[in-house]
Amino acid sequence: MILLEATLAGLVLGGMYALVALGLNLQYGVARIMNLAYGEGVIVAAFAAWWLYTAGGINPIFGLALILPAAFAVNWLIYRLALTPLVRRAKLREQLEVDSILATFGLLFVVQGLMLVAFGGAYYSYGFLSVPVVIADVTIAANRLLALGFALVLGLALYLALTRTRIGTAVRAVAVDPVAAGLVAIDVRQVAAASFALGGALVAAGGVLVSMFLTFNANIGVVFTMKALIVVIMGGVGNLLGCLVAGLILGLTETFVATWVDPGLTLAATYAIFLAILLVRPQGLFGRAAR
Amino acid sequence: MLEIARVSVAYGQHRAVDDVALRVAKGEIVVVLGANGSGKSSLLKTIARVLPSAPGGSVRLAGREIADLPPHAVVEAGLALVPEGRGIFGELTVRENLMLGAFARRARAGEAANLARVLALFPRLGERLGQAARTMSGGEQQMVAIGRALMSAPDILLLDEPSLGLAPLICGELFRALTRIREGGIGILLVEQNAKRSLAIADRGYLMAQGRLVGEGDAARLRADPAVQRAYLGHFDAA
Ligand SMILES: Nc1ncnc2c1ncn2[C@@H]1O[C@H](COP(=O)(O)OP(=O)(O)OP(=O)(O)O)[C@@H](O)[C@H]1O
Ligand SMILES: [Mg+2]
Repeated sequence: MILLEATLAGLVLGGMYALVALGLNLQYGVARIMNLAYGEGVIVAAFAAWWLYTAGGINPIFGLALILPAAFAVNWLIYRLALTPLVRRAKLREQLEVDSILATFGLLFVVQGLMLVAFGGAYYSYGFLSVPVVIADVTIAANRLLALGFALVLGLALYLALTRTRIGTAVRAVAVDPVAAGLVAIDVRQVAAASFALGGALVAAGGVLVSMFLTFNANIGVVFTMKALIVVIMGGVGNLLGCLVAGLILGLTETFVATWVDPGLTLAATYAIFLAILLVRPQGLFGRAAR
Repeated sequence: MLEIARVSVAYGQHRAVDDVALRVAKGEIVVVLGANGSGKSSLLKTIARVLPSAPGGSVRLAGREIADLPPHAVVEAGLALVPEGRGIFGELTVRENLMLGAFARRARAGEAANLARVLALFPRLGERLGQAARTMSGGEQQMVAIGRALMSAPDILLLDEPSLGLAPLICGELFRALTRIREGGIGILLVEQNAKRSLAIADRGYLMAQGRLVGEGDAARLRADPAVQRAYLGHFDAA
């Protein structure tokens, strides 16, 4: 019974990691921005959901409908105002990666500082749908199930959009070859801006869903940045299926270790798996060997 | 009709393209011949705006100045480049490559008809629509690249050494396809090392050396010109 319970909890956590990492994959894989402030998006969205719920009585599912478009808009603005100058002056992709690391490192401290001023360092949470549900003898909180369901829906929607629509195919084309993408009339800058913004919306979705069942504070954004990075690298940059599998592996590992070994060792276990996979497959589980 | 004038490209101090003027009319094949490093690829890339040109040049498509447009807008204006090394999306399928070819708004209405035309031109692509482009043979990849460019419904098609690395048989197939594309009214600017084959299908030609155009004329006249034979066709006489 404990095994089933831990597995379910691990899948929920892993689903969150996968969703958050999908957004990073868009920002890094398509827009070529290595966003170190990425995980701050989780926390900002979590506080937004908390505030909407406690102050406005708006439940987080409706909150998603407000927060996702707002996150898209904010991230689009960040790209246009702060990152486009870097894109303009970068002659090579590698240079843009380095520049964006420095720029978003600064952004991390700005966002984190603002949240510390607003909310202090205390942990926050709220009780939405925290009623137990029993499935085949396993008990799980309803909010966790709901979070997993929404993560699946969002991930599936993204997958279908990227593989079944022309604009989604164009996004993948920019990821594999931006110069050739320009040759087929794709406005590469616009696609990059939209992908960055969409990535920001996905990480916000992750934040809202996570806030329904985890406690959070203004400092833990960087943990999500790290985990998203691990999932993206472990799954293979630019690979959606890799994101899903690596996210689930991470979630399950953490939950199992916390249940049977020691909660203090989850991070160590995460890195052990990360290292082991990279030793065997440096390009990630589903990545293609470097050109 | 494509008309360029005073077009130059510089890499730092080095002028790879120096004050070039040429024109390509609808329904004609124009070949640019030149040795390695003479600036042919740089010329095509700067016309398609994937490479910035020095100020002062003019690139006009059907009378409209396109020298200051971004690459995607050049395609919308009716000019498509098949670059050196093909530039296809290897990870995507043949169908996705062709579908992206029609990403330009100008190409949407005629997409189905264009696809039928491309598949009639290269029947082999029709059998391989679901295959990842990078797993195709070199000749087939070149067909994907040309097919993708045609899907944008261009008025002018630029081709950078399409025959490079291809066996003679498939090369002949490709050049026959180019003549059929010309019959459809598209103007083709073709950069080639294979002087014999390209002069055989071309209407006119230009000779390029060290970034400058050093000669031009009807294809028939160029073929007969002893200087051209020595510089560009000698290799084939010896063979
Ligand atoms: N990115 C670059 N940076 C610096 N110099 C370059 C660059 N690309 C090309 N060149 C130089 O510009 C000149 C013209 O190159 P280009 O590729 O246009 O020639 P080409 O005629 O296409 O040659 P080939 O027949 O070998 O393809 C060469 O001297 C080349 O070394
Ligand atoms: Mg060349």
